[in-house]
Order: sequence, then structure tokens, then C-alpha cells
Amino acid sequence: MAETAIQTRLEDQPRDASVIQVENVSKLFRTPTEGTIGALQEVSVDIRHSEFVTVVGPSGCGKSTLLKLIAGFSAPSSGRILFQGEEVRGLNTKTGYVPQESKLFPWLTVEENVGFGLDSKRFSRQDRERQVSQFISLAGLAGFEKYYPAQLSGGMSKRASIVRALAYEPPVILMDEPFGPLDAQTRMVIQDELLKIWEQKRQTIVFVTHDLVEAVALADRVVVMTHRPGKIKDIIKVPMARPRNIFEIHRQDGFDEAYDRLWNIFRHELNIRSR
Amino acid sequence: MANEANREHSDIGSAEEIVAFKKESGLNIRGFGVTMIRAGIVGGFLLLWQIASGRWIEPFLISSPSRIFASLLTGFQTGDLLQHSWVTLQEILIGFPLGALTGILLGYSFGRSRLLAEIFEPIIIALNGIPRTALAPLFIVWLGIGIWSKVGVVFLLTFFLNFFNTYTGMRQMDQEYIDLARLMRVRGLKLTFRVILPAISPYMFTGIRTSIPFSVIGAIVGEFIAATEGIGFFIRLSAGIFRTADVFVGIIVLMFIVIIMDKIAGTVEKRVLRWQSLTEHVQVQG
Repeated sequence: MAETAIQTRLEDQPRDASVIQVENVSKLFRTPTEGTIGALQEVSVDIRHSEFVTVVGPSGCGKSTLLKLIAGFSAPSSGRILFQGEEVRGLNTKTGYVPQESKLFPWLTVEENVGFGLDSKRFSRQDRERQVSQFISLAGLAGFEKYYPAQLSGGMSKRASIVRALAYEPPVILMDEPFGPLDAQTRMVIQDELLKIWEQKRQTIVFVTHDLVEAVALADRVVVMTHRPGKIKDIIKVPMARPRNIFEIHRQDGFDEAYDRLWNIFRHELNIRSR
Repeated sequence: MANEANREHSDIGSAEEIVAFKKESGLNIRGFGVTMIRAGIVGGFLLLWQIASGRWIEPFLISSPSRIFASLLTGFQTGDLLQHSWVTLQEILIGFPLGALTGILLGYSFGRSRLLAEIFEPIIIALNGIPRTALAPLFIVWLGIGIWSKVGVVFLLTFFLNFFNTYTGMRQMDQEYIDLARLMRVRGLKLTFRVILPAISPYMFTGIRTSIPFSVIGAIVGEFIAATEGIGFFIRLSAGIFRTADVFVGIIVLMFIVIIMDKIAGTVEKRVLRWQSLTEHVQVQG
């Protein structure tokens, strides 16, 4: 009995282990007009291995700031961020980043963009080509390898931008409202594709959005943030089974439960602010 | 192949993809018309010039197309003009690439190093306030009346334009591209050549192309001040003895130098910035 218990714990260790630990992180910005602004205040959250976490909150609540801190684009004003137990200093090259706009390198073809992070030390020429073509077809961009970003539609650039971050296989992918500018249909198609890719690769994903449905549909857990200065209001577990069907997400067990909880929090927020 | 791919992805592929590959039809007929009208305007102007010369205006003031053409021919036949052109061309061919390269290199370095920029930016801006052609006499004093003083002036004029354009490019560059690349562990030469230089290349080409006429101005100003050879010398000499046709001959040679240099730069630009021009189908003019 005791033996099996220990064994289970050991097995579960890597899966439950935190990949990212955000500990009491605050971020202040100094602006010329409004003085010092608190973007984040005492934010703490643990993100576990292979977890899909979404972060929702009103605009200006510091969601993007949180991602940028995890990526190491800038440093917290106080508190610290650990990546696999080690404090993040400078750029966190264990993460991949999908920005709001696609930000494909416009001077590189789709192929070159997707393969950009595959350096020659880790990937042989052959591996590299295989990897690139695999991810290009995952993104449904086969046939467009030689195209430049300017020749792609919004949805296509978005997908290319996502697989560019996935292709070099960083253990964590950070996505900053990546589907924001897309129309509703394209958005659903890409959400579906993202989930499919994720089911295969199981990288840890932190996904920022302001869309409550999207937040629930994609996530294992939803981090809810309040208006500036951004604090974590609640973290909601989404009890939906996987794989999920994005196109009929409303009918899936567990969706309503999670969505209602989320909406209650937001309604509360809105009421307080309107008074 | 492009069409096939488009069809395959018609659910997401939008209209702009197809537009990007549309061959412009009917361009030839319209293009022919445009060429004819243009030729008419230029031809009409030359004709008017020819008629006016000697009839309404003294020929020594404005010469005439036929006289200029004749002078051009004799100039090249005697080899005189060829020698002058060659001297001027040499000054430009040495000074221009040197100035452009130094300007680009310094603009790039200032963009990369905040310290360098902080130290030197005010100095460079102050230097830029000097009307640079005013320095030409100094160059004559320093470097003599041979080609090197003119190379110096060409260098100076070319350098600043390239420096400012490249530096502007560096400052306007989207930091997110660099952050993304560095997050992908891209650095060093790959970062420079695959990210930074392509990102600023439109600015670099603007610098190169705007500095072409200025490099020629530099050579000519230098030759105006003190020289024994070169197109600038030839123009000044000819004007001094009222050989107006020869003045125009000199101007025509300079014009061709500028046009050819710009054509070469334009061709290179088009190739290098291919990624940019692929969807340039936005119509602003009617």
C-alpha cells in the first residue's frame, strides 16, 4: 500500500511540478502624465507542466505585462518569477511568444519564418526541413512555403506565427491575445487547430485573452484578473473533458459551470465599478 | 501552383491573396499611350527651344538642342569630354560607396549602442547643421586640387544622408522583432543579417538613393572651386567663355551619371526588398 502511494507520487511529480511560478510580482510603470502606474500588484500563480492556462481580465489589467515578464522582456518591479525553479533573469529562452499581431518577419518566407528558431546546433539540416514541413502542414499552410507574409491573409499569418513559436519546441508558449483581430469564424477554426496541435505536443501554454468564451473553451484553468492595478481575483478550474469540440463548446459538460462562475466574477467587477 | 493552393484554402484565403498574383492586364495599351504623351511633351519642349534660340532669345544665353547635340558629339570624338567625365566619375565612384558604407555602418552602430548614440548624437547633429558644401574649399586646402579633395566632398555629402537614414531606421525599428528573435536564441551575426539589416533596409535604400544626386553635387562643387579636370571644371570653363552649348553638354553628362546610378540602385533595391513590393497594389491615385 505504502509503496504504491510513493510510486504514484513520484510518477506524478513531473506532471504536477510547476513550470512557472509567479511569486508576489508587481510591476510599476512611470509615465510622464499620470505619474507611476501599477500594472500588476502582488500577483502569484503557479503554472504546471503541460497545462493550458488562460488569463482573462478587462483591458489594461496587466495581462500582457504578465506575459512579457514571464518571457523576460522586462523585469518585475518586485517579486520574482521562477522557471523550473530558477529565477528568470533577462530573456527566458525556454519560452515561445506569439504576439498580438502576427509579427512574422516580413522579409522571410513562411518556411523561413517557421524555421527561424531552429538553430543548426540542435537540428541537422534534415531534421530542420522535416520539422518545418511538419509544422507548416499542422498549420494548414502546405503549398504556401515560399510565400511572404504580405501575401497571406490574416488567419494564415496568425497560424504561421503560432507554429513559428511551436516549431523550435520551447517548453512553454506564451500567447498574447493572438486571435483578437480575427473574425469569429476564422477564430473558431484556429482555436480548433491550436487545440489539436496542443493535444499532440502538450507544451505548456499561457494564453491571454479578453474573451470569456475563449478563455473557458481552451483552458484547464482560467486566471481572472481585476482592473488596474492587475491583481488575481480568482483561478477557475474548467471541468471539461478533452479533446474538446470548439464548434459546439456550449453543449459540452462543464462549460456552463465554468462560464457562469467566470461571468459572476465579472458581473461583480462591473457593478462595483459602475457605482 | 499558387492558384491551386488558393483553392485548397478557400475557406480562409481571402481576396487579397488573389489580387497579389493578378497580372495587370491592359497595361500595354495604356503604357504605350503614356509613353507617347511623354515623348510629345519632351519633343515639343525641345522643338520650342530650337525655334526660340536665335529667333527670340540670343543663342549664347540658351544655346539650342542642335548645337548641344553637335557639341556632345565633338566632345566625345576628341576624347576631351570623355576624360572630364572619367575624372568626375572616379571621384564619385570612390567617394560615394565609401560615404554610404561609413554612414550605414555608423548609423547601425549608433542604433545598437546606446552609449555611442548618447555620446556622439549631439555632435553629429551639430555637424549636420553646417552647410556641407561650405567645407569644400577646406578640402581643397587639405587634399589639393586633384581628385582627392572632391572625393572628400562627395564622401561628406553621401555620409550624412546615409547615416541619418540608417539611424532613423534603427530607431524606428519594431523592438518586438528583435525580442522575438532573441527569444528564439537568435543573436550575433544571424540577428544582424537576418533581422536587423532586413528590417532597416527600406531606410538604407532611401539613404542610398537620396544621396546619389548629392554625391554628384559634391563632385561638381569641388571641381567648381579648384580643379584642372572634371565635368564641373568643364562647365565652369565653358560658361566663362560663353560656350553655352558645352555647359549644357556637361549638365547632360551629369544627368546621365545620376540616372544610371539611380537605375542600378533601384534594381538592387527591387531585388532586395522583394518581400515588400509583393502586395503593393493599393491605389491612391485615380
